[in-house]
Amino acid sequence: MYDKTVRRRRAVLALLVVLSLILLTAYFGEATNGGLHSVQRGFLTVVSPIQDGANKALKPVRDLFGWFGDTLHAKSQVGELRKQNDKLRKEVIANRANEHGYHELLGLYHLDQLTLNNYRPVTATVVGKSPNIWYQTIWIDKGTSSGVQKNDPVINSEGLVGKVVQAVPDGAVIDLITDSEVGVSARINGTGATGVIQPKVGDPNDLVLQYLPANTSVTKGEYVVTSGTVSPSSQDNSLYPPGIAIGQVSSVDEESAYKSVNVHPLANLHNLDVVQVLTYTQGSKPARLTSLQAGLSSSGLTGAGGGEGNQLASTGAGG
Amino acid sequence: MTLSGSLVARIAVLVVVVVFFQIGVVSEVPVLGVAVDLSPLVVAFVGLLCGSTLGAATGFAVGLLVDLALVQTLGVASLIFTLVGYWCGRLRELRDPQATLTPLLVGAAASAAATVGYSLMEFLLGVDAPVSLELLRQIVLGVVVNTVVALPMWAIVRRTLEPDLPDDPRRRRRRAYTTGGLSPLSRA
Repeated sequence: MYDKTVRRRRAVLALLVVLSLILLTAYFGEATNGGLHSVQRGFLTVVSPIQDGANKALKPVRDLFGWFGDTLHAKSQVGELRKQNDKLRKEVIANRANEHGYHELLGLYHLDQLTLNNYRPVTATVVGKSPNIWYQTIWIDKGTSSGVQKNDPVINSEGLVGKVVQAVPDGAVIDLITDSEVGVSARINGTGATGVIQPKVGDPNDLVLQYLPANTSVTKGEYVVTSGTVSPSSQDNSLYPPGIAIGQVSSVDEESAYKSVNVHPLANLHNLDVVQVLTYTQGSKPARLTSLQAGLSSSGLTGAGGGEGNQLASTGAGG
Repeated sequence: MTLSGSLVARIAVLVVVVVFFQIGVVSEVPVLGVAVDLSPLVVAFVGLLCGSTLGAATGFAVGLLVDLALVQTLGVASLIFTLVGYWCGRLRELRDPQATLTPLLVGAAASAAATVGYSLMEFLLGVDAPVSLELLRQIVLGVVVNTVVALPMWAIVRRTLEPDLPDDPRRRRRRAYTTGGLSPLSRA
C-alpha cells in the first residue's frame, strides 16, 4: 500500500514536470502563429470580457489601496515638479520660435514624415498587470474589434509605455518598455545621436540607451525620444513613430566602446490606469511602412549588424 | 490524502479567484516598489494542507493559468509552481510542522524559490537585456512583502479548504481536548 502511494506520488510529479518541459520546448520553438500561441489567444478571447467585468467591480478596492501610495508620492514630488515646470515653460517659448521656420522647411523640401497625426489613437483602460519582474506586461480592455493590432505602439500622457504583443477582439496584452523582450530605437533629443533603448532586468525605474557613438556628447537631464526606426538588435518589430518621449538621461557610462546612458522613463509604469494604442488603417502611411518593414525583415535585410537601428522612415524631429 | 470531488472543486475555485484577483488588483498596487505575488503562496499552502500530489497538481494548474493569462512562455511557471507545490506537500508528509509561524516560513521559502526559479529559467532561455544589481533588491523585497501577506493568505486558504480536509491531526487533537477528551499521553 505504502509502495503504491509512493509510486503514484512520484509518477504524478514526473508527469507534470515532463508536461511542463514539453510545453516549454514546444512554445519556445514554435512561430507566433503556432498551435500553443493560438491556444493562448483563444484563452485571452474567452477571459478578456470576464477580466474586464472583474476589473470594474474591483476598481474601488484598487483605488483605495492606490490612494495612499499616490498621496505620499505626490507630496514628495511637488517641489521638484515646480522647478521642472519653470524650466519647461522657458523651453516651450524657445521652441515656438523655431517651429515656424521648421514647418516652412518641411513644405519647401516636400518631406512626407511619419508623425503621430498618421495614427488613430484608441484609448484603453488597464485591467491587469503581471506581478513578475521578468515579464513586464499589462492587460487592456480594447482589442482587434477597436482596431488594435500586434506591435502597435502604446503611449500615455507622459510618454512611451510599450507595444501590443497579443490582441484578441475584446482585449490586448502590452509589453512595457521595461520588459526584457522590448528594444526601442531612440535618439537624444538635443544632439540627435541614436541608439537602442533596452530595459535593465529587475530595475523597473531605469532603462539603458546603448550603442551611442563614442564621441556623442550627452548631459544629465536631456530627453530621449523615439527615433522612428526599427531596432534590429532586439526582437522588437514595432515601428514607433518618431518624437515620442521615452525618458530623461540620469547618468552616462563612458567606459564601453559604444557609449551608453541610463535613462529614467517618463511614464510612471507602476501606476497605469489609462493608455492610448496608436492604431492605423489599411493604406495609411504607418501601414505601408509596417508592411515594408515586415518584407525587409523576412528577407533578412534589417537583421544584419548589431548597432544602431536601421533608418526605415524618412523622419526628422517629428512629433 | 483521499481525493474528494468537493475538495478539488474548492481548490479550482480558489486558484481561479486568486489568479484573477492577483492580475486585476494586487499587481496594480505596488508595495515598496514591488508587487505582492499570491500565486506561490496559494500553491505552497495547498501543498501544506493537502499533500504533495495535490500540491504539485495545483502548482501546475496555477502556472498554466498565469502563463496563459499573461502571455508568458508556456511551461515556465507550471514547472516552477509544480516543484514548489510538491516540496510543500512533502514537508507536510515528512515533518507535519505544527508551529504557528510555519506558514510564514513556508510562504517566504516558496516565494524565494519561485522568484529564483524564474530568474534561472529566464537566464537559461536567454534574456536579451542587461541584468542590473537592482534585480537582487527586487527579489529580496518581493520575498519580504510576500512574507508579510503569508499569514492572511494561509488563513484564507485553510478556511476555504478546511471543510473537505478529512484527516487534519491538529483539528482532531484540538477537538478532543476542548470537548473533555483525554490526551493521547494520559490515555497511555
